[in-house]
Amino acid sequence: MVQSTPPKKQAVLVVEDEPLLRMMAMDLVEDAGFRAIEAADADEAVTILETRTDIRIVFTDIDMPGSMNGMKLAAAVRDRWPPIEIIIVSGQVRLSEADLPERSVFFSKPYDWQKVTATLHRMARH
Amino acid sequence: MADPDPNEDMHIERLEALDAYNIMDTEPEPEFDDIVLVASTLCGTPVALVSLVERDRQWFKARVGFEACDTPIEQSVCAHALGSSNVLVIPDLQLDQRTRANTLVTGEPHIRFYAGAPLITPDEVVIGTLCVIDIQPRPQGLDEGQKAALQALARQVVALLEMRRISQRKDDLFRRQKTISANIRSSVNASLAAQEAGRIGTFEIDIATSMMRVSREFCRIFHVPIAETYPTRVFEDMVLPQDKGLQSDDTSRQQGDAPLDVEYRIRVPGYGVRWIARNASFRHDEAGRPVKMIGTVRDVTAAKREAARVQALLDVGDRLRDLSDMESMAIAAGDLMARALDATRAGFGIVNAADETVSVPPEWCAPGVKSLAGLHHFRDYGSFVDDLKRGEAVVIADVATDPRTRDHAPALLALGIRVLVNVPIFELGRFRLVAFIHHDQPYPWMEEEISFVRSFGNRIQIAMSRVQAELEQQMLNREMSHRLKNTLSMVQAIATQTLRPVAERGLVEAFEKRLHALSTAHDILFEQNWTSASVYAVVDRTMNGIGMRDRIDAQGPNVRFGPKGSLSLSLLLHELTTNAVKYGALSNDTGRVAIDWRIEGTGDGAIFYLSWREIGGPPPREPERKGFGSKLIRMGLIGTGGVLVSYDQPGFSAEMTAVLLQLAQAD
Repeated sequence: MVQSTPPKKQAVLVVEDEPLLRMMAMDLVEDAGFRAIEAADADEAVTILETRTDIRIVFTDIDMPGSMNGMKLAAAVRDRWPPIEIIIVSGQVRLSEADLPERSVFFSKPYDWQKVTATLHRMARH
Repeated sequence: MADPDPNEDMHIERLEALDAYNIMDTEPEPEFDDIVLVASTLCGTPVALVSLVERDRQWFKARVGFEACDTPIEQSVCAHALGSSNVLVIPDLQLDQRTRANTLVTGEPHIRFYAGAPLITPDEVVIGTLCVIDIQPRPQGLDEGQKAALQALARQVVALLEMRRISQRKDDLFRRQKTISANIRSSVNASLAAQEAGRIGTFEIDIATSMMRVSREFCRIFHVPIAETYPTRVFEDMVLPQDKGLQSDDTSRQQGDAPLDVEYRIRVPGYGVRWIARNASFRHDEAGRPVKMIGTVRDVTAAKREAARVQALLDVGDRLRDLSDMESMAIAAGDLMARALDATRAGFGIVNAADETVSVPPEWCAPGVKSLAGLHHFRDYGSFVDDLKRGEAVVIADVATDPRTRDHAPALLALGIRVLVNVPIFELGRFRLVAFIHHDQPYPWMEEEISFVRSFGNRIQIAMSRVQAELEQQMLNREMSHRLKNTLSMVQAIATQTLRPVAERGLVEAFEKRLHALSTAHDILFEQNWTSASVYAVVDRTMNGIGMRDRIDAQGPNVRFGPKGSLSLSLLLHELTTNAVKYGALSNDTGRVAIDWRIEGTGDGAIFYLSWREIGGPPPREPERKGFGSKLIRMGLIGTGGVLVSYDQPGFSAEMTAVLLQLAQAD
């Protein structure tokens, strides 16, 4: 596994309603050398995004309770915070490219730890 | 008792004469009744009869003072009067040899006196008598005046019979005349009807002037006032836009290249669309230029529609089989229905019976006709929803006059609906769908067409139910797959947390990748509704998942595995690839792996072979320690072995065999 720690720790916002999965995603993000910030649903994520400016990447599940699901959150992020990169994960089998916001990457659950890590690193370098 | 008359010829003449008068057993007639009344008064007797004598009985055309309307010939006194042209007088029947044993004399009503004048036809055949009878003997008989008067009255009876015969003959002739003319009329009508059914009209076009001579039937077929000549343009303009060019025109007639036998549709105001079959030929002048076009036209609408209905019912199965959503089914079905019925709009709506609304998906519309797609309230268009709810087909020949729609006619006419047909389709007793057909012109609906729409609707409903069931199944599968993958994610999360302290990260990664291979295999199966997956798809997706697809050469016949076989193959390929990446051909940048599969044998005994051959890697060597991966490989495709591995040059290889039937099994 390639470990390239960025000079300054960038923040990744992990949005996942299932605590166990959120915990794993936080570990993944931290192992990849990022600072992990958590949100249990899209509404909480928006509040965080509105109050912080250090979020570089949003890592979100699709199926979540609340007023927005992950897809809507991703669309909102692309609209309101264009520089932020987006990773979407879901147990849904496949999403067509057309459903995804621009510059976002989709991983089917259970996701490949290495591939997600590599994607986080690539996004952080941009 | 009457003596049998030895003269048989006389009997036959009499019977023939009676037959000719056609009088026997007819109803009483006042002319004859008057005569017997006069006779009885004249002779002062209580009884007077017009008696006609057959072979076995005498029958009374008129009678006074006598009950029976006929008697057996044995009781006939008149029979004795037949041999003479004179009046027969028997003053006392009890004393006369010929009559004293007669039961009318010996018993009731004990007749005693008889006088009868023979009824003599112009051919001098005696057919019976005009007689008077008394129950008192009358020794003095009749006086001469009475006799003469009785004879005169008898001649009167014959005169009446003659008149009757003549007038009957006239009646008869008249009747026959009537029958004949009725027959003629009906045969004429029949041939007219035949012509009407065949509807053959004739025409002759003068090409130079574009005027055509037409038959009356031609005018009827085109629904134009009957006339001998018309400009050709009148009929050319009636052809539907989509059939323009089929009919001849000035150019094609002048060049003589108009098609000779064509079928096209015309629009007739007030009658809607009619199908015309036209057969023609050209007449040329000496120079070979066409000068006349002559031919016949037939109205083939009924036959065309019948054929279209049959075809539509045949086509509907094929057209709907491959469609998977209700909208495209409704359009396809509407298209078929509209063609069969020459409609301007046809389709199906999904009904909410409680709200009395119908949601119309895009339907079939004739060119230039606006779609009605969207939600509609039945009550906005009239009261016919009441009939639909009762399961009755609604056929409204004219929305402006039908009591169910006339108050809403402007709304309907604005949508181009002149004729409205709605057929309700029920599912499990609920009003679920409505098939609709619209015409913007009056259209004469036939019973067969209604039943066609109904049976068509049933077919659509069955097809739509199938699609509905498939959609539900798909949703269920998606939900199941989603949950399964979430569960695998949870396993992944738990393992990650549990294995965090483990120093050897390779093991954790290996576990995670196996989990991933399992998940990929599930993806492939899900896409096939958990029934089967092609071997190629399993190889392709598994190798893609590992990121090694471009270093694999995969080929083999199209074979499908069941869920178990697919999962097993996916996990096996994953282990083989992992090993190849660590130690084999995929551990450098150039090595490759060839995956080939084939089937040998047929039927239940068919064997599936799969070979994995690595080339271009470092020299192969057998691992010292047998890990889980190696064990998995040795278990083979169905967990019972059938695996041959080799670490010889040019690289690692594995040959796996299994009974195809077991791999292809559903579970």
